[in-house]
Amino acid sequence: MLVLARKLNQQIVIGDDIYVKVVRMEGDVVKLGIQAPISVPVHRQEVYDEIQKSNKAALTSGPRSIPKLPDKNSRR
Amino acid sequence: MKCAETTVIEERREEASAPARKPQAEPNKGVITLPMGLLGFEQVKHYTLLGSAEEAPFLWLQMVEDPSLAFLVISPSVVVNSYEPEISDEEVKFLELADAKDALIFNIVTVHANGDATVNLKGPIVVNRRTLIGKQVVPLNAARYELHHPVAANSSN
Repeated sequence: MLVLARKLNQQIVIGDDIYVKVVRMEGDVVKLGIQAPISVPVHRQEVYDEIQKSNKAALTSGPRSIPKLPDKNSRR
Repeated sequence: MKCAETTVIEERREEASAPARKPQAEPNKGVITLPMGLLGFEQVKHYTLLGSAEEAPFLWLQMVEDPSLAFLVISPSVVVNSYEPEISDEEVKFLELADAKDALIFNIVTVHANGDATVNLKGPIVVNRRTLIGKQVVPLNAARYELHHPVAANSSN
């Protein structure tokens, strides 16, 4: 990981067209402004982490049972 | 690309213990490839999608390398009325989706310790119907959707 120190309002460039700027510092919270092409997804790390956790919790080994669906789909 | 879920491909197969109705001509037919795996399971790239009349609308996304491991999945249209995850241009290119209809979308279901089932709408699995290449996508509008959207509850609704 490349570690760069930035002051308020300073910016870094990633590749040709991704910009990250420190727009505000509030105590121990840093607000970052990100400019990236619409084609590039930008998400908080937590979103990926929580999906990872959810996937792991969902993995089934051993006996498989199906939850009951309310009304819509009844077993015939 | 906005993908509205339409239909789900169901592969009807017998359970492993019952004799197969007909032999498979191509062993790799119907194998879904996730070149990046799933989040948390990046090393596992090959899955089969299994279903039966009794289990519908649920399907099992089963690991080819270890068939004892599988994810319970469901088409989002069974759970929500309009699900339109926005897939980034890069991912559309990666999956070679020419059209929104090319995309088969399904979501992982978690059955929790208390018996409640939730579906992950934040990280759908998007598969190109033609190539059977897929990816677990975090859509651009992920904030709109829940990680644990209720499917069925033990208590009323």
